[in-house]
Amino acid sequence: MIGNHGQRLSQGSGWLKRHAAILLQVAIGLLVLAVVLQLVSNLQLNLMRLGFQISLNWLGDSARFSLSEHVLPYDTRDSYSWVLLVGFVNSLRVVSLGLLLSTALGLIAGAASFSSNLLLRRLTTLYVAVVRNVPLLLQLLFWYTVVFFSFPQEPQSLLWGALSVSSRGLVILGIPTSVEFAALLTGLSVFTGAYISEVVRGGLASVQRGQWEAARSLGLDEGRTLRLIVIPQALPAILPALNSEYINMAKNSTLAIAIGYPEIYAVTSTTVTQTGRAIEAFVLLLLSFLLLDLAISGVMNLLNRLVLKRG
Amino acid sequence: MRKSLFASPLDGLITLLLLAAFAAALQGVVHWALVQANWSVIVDNLPLWFTGSFTKDQVWRSWTWMASLLLLCVVTLSPRWLIPPALARWLPLLWLLALPVGLLLLAGGLGLEPVASNRWGGLQLSLLLALASTLLSLPIGILLALGRRSKLPLLKWMSTGYIELIRGIPMITVLFFGQLLIPLFLPMDWTVNRVLRAILSLGFFTGAYVAECVRGGLQSIPKTQLEAARALGLSTVQTIVLVELPQALRTALPALTNQFVGLIQDTALLSIVGLVELLGISRSILANPDYVGRYVEVYIWLALLYWAVCTLMMGVAGRIEHSLKGAEGNRS
Repeated sequence: MIGNHGQRLSQGSGWLKRHAAILLQVAIGLLVLAVVLQLVSNLQLNLMRLGFQISLNWLGDSARFSLSEHVLPYDTRDSYSWVLLVGFVNSLRVVSLGLLLSTALGLIAGAASFSSNLLLRRLTTLYVAVVRNVPLLLQLLFWYTVVFFSFPQEPQSLLWGALSVSSRGLVILGIPTSVEFAALLTGLSVFTGAYISEVVRGGLASVQRGQWEAARSLGLDEGRTLRLIVIPQALPAILPALNSEYINMAKNSTLAIAIGYPEIYAVTSTTVTQTGRAIEAFVLLLLSFLLLDLAISGVMNLLNRLVLKRG
Repeated sequence: MRKSLFASPLDGLITLLLLAAFAAALQGVVHWALVQANWSVIVDNLPLWFTGSFTKDQVWRSWTWMASLLLLCVVTLSPRWLIPPALARWLPLLWLLALPVGLLLLAGGLGLEPVASNRWGGLQLSLLLALASTLLSLPIGILLALGRRSKLPLLKWMSTGYIELIRGIPMITVLFFGQLLIPLFLPMDWTVNRVLRAILSLGFFTGAYVAECVRGGLQSIPKTQLEAARALGLSTVQTIVLVELPQALRTALPALTNQFVGLIQDTALLSIVGLVELLGISRSILANPDYVGRYVEVYIWLALLYWAVCTLMMGVAGRIEHSLKGAEGNRS
């Protein structure tokens, strides 16, 4: 009798043990569900009180606010959906150019940190230290108000006419750009370039010393050693880290709102102020960043596969 | 000297060019700083940068808090033989107390006159935001990391989904929509002030990044540790709390330090959503007609302040890291 009881008890605890994983998940799932339901019911009550209903119909209304610059054609009578798309394309413009510039800067600074010249090495260390210890927002404001806004009113020609600068805008190789765009692009590229240079430095350092020495003993000069021996071996370590730096840059481009370049976040923010549609706009913004991240990761994965195949 | 600066003609040319550029830049900067710059915008507003528009007769509380933080930094960074071992042992605890003491001093309570959160500003608000969201993000991040590594599919999916979603979006969107949406998701009669909304948004946002740092630490633990824990008869919870987490956190400490020093800088974004932290207060000072156009002075001053705070925090974190390693060494 006693034995039977004990057996049943141990059976019971055995059942509990066997299904502990499922029970735990059910419990946590229910808890999360309860919290989410409570939040949603709060939201419904609050929206009812404010007389709001979630919908996307307002996207068809005309936006009625002007944009200081746009790649796609835009008129204030266009709809909110169109103005959001215009903002997204503006984001793409600054991010794609920023990728190129910051990569170039990062490669140069990363390679310079391996230079035999002490002064050059110290300079790259200083560059990285300053950029990493000052908030990006402050850096952007600095480029905008201190550097780009201090240009003279009348256009001035620099670099044998390739560049013309004034406080009202720049002309680079015949292409006109606004001061806001130029400041944002410069700030983002200088900031991301510092991080990329660290990635490059880490990647180059991961190549064994013996490889450098072997190349030197084969009679290759420094440039060819880098290009033919070291960089191909460093790339598999560099590319994944570059991917996350690029995505960071795409996300950081939203700070453009502080200097008045109308990219996707700035446009969304104005839209929310005008319509009060915070929830819908937030979801749309999430989706557009998902799209941007996926695009960058897609390109980088393609590149990664090419490099790995060649290596 | 010759080898490091003039090894080849090209090297020599680079060195000379850099030196010339340095000299020109230095001369320009010195001339500007001593002759053209007008530092009165910094000097006249000195208290504002640190305490914001904190109630005048209570402002000693701000200074007390910031001075004690500075003292704590100095003690932490000073050489080991200078401070008594008893004090050294209590240092981590003192750092944990920095936030509650700060909150008490700023908000009031326990006999101190209450000061509304919209009067908090300047560097003290930046520090408070950074400290509070750090402390909030740690438990969130640890739970998410454990969830992501868990064998239970539901936990794994939820944690991974949250981490990847948050890491895919810019911080400013979370801060902006946090200010707008947090009150909408809470019961009507709850009032959450702007500072608390900012701390919640920052904490939940940074939690996703902390989770990835901790996950890195968890992955570095050798499998034999877990097998040993199982052989000792430890339960899953005991294994996590006693074996995995202490090692994972110690490994993740450098990454976490970077994260949290970054967080100090990220508080600057809150000036966009209308908090008067360090960058926010500078915007209102620059809006004063007396100081019109004094951008360069203000931005250089701010850069120096942020740089000093970040460097100090890096040093402190490095020291704490070191002392934790030391403690481990003594035990074994």
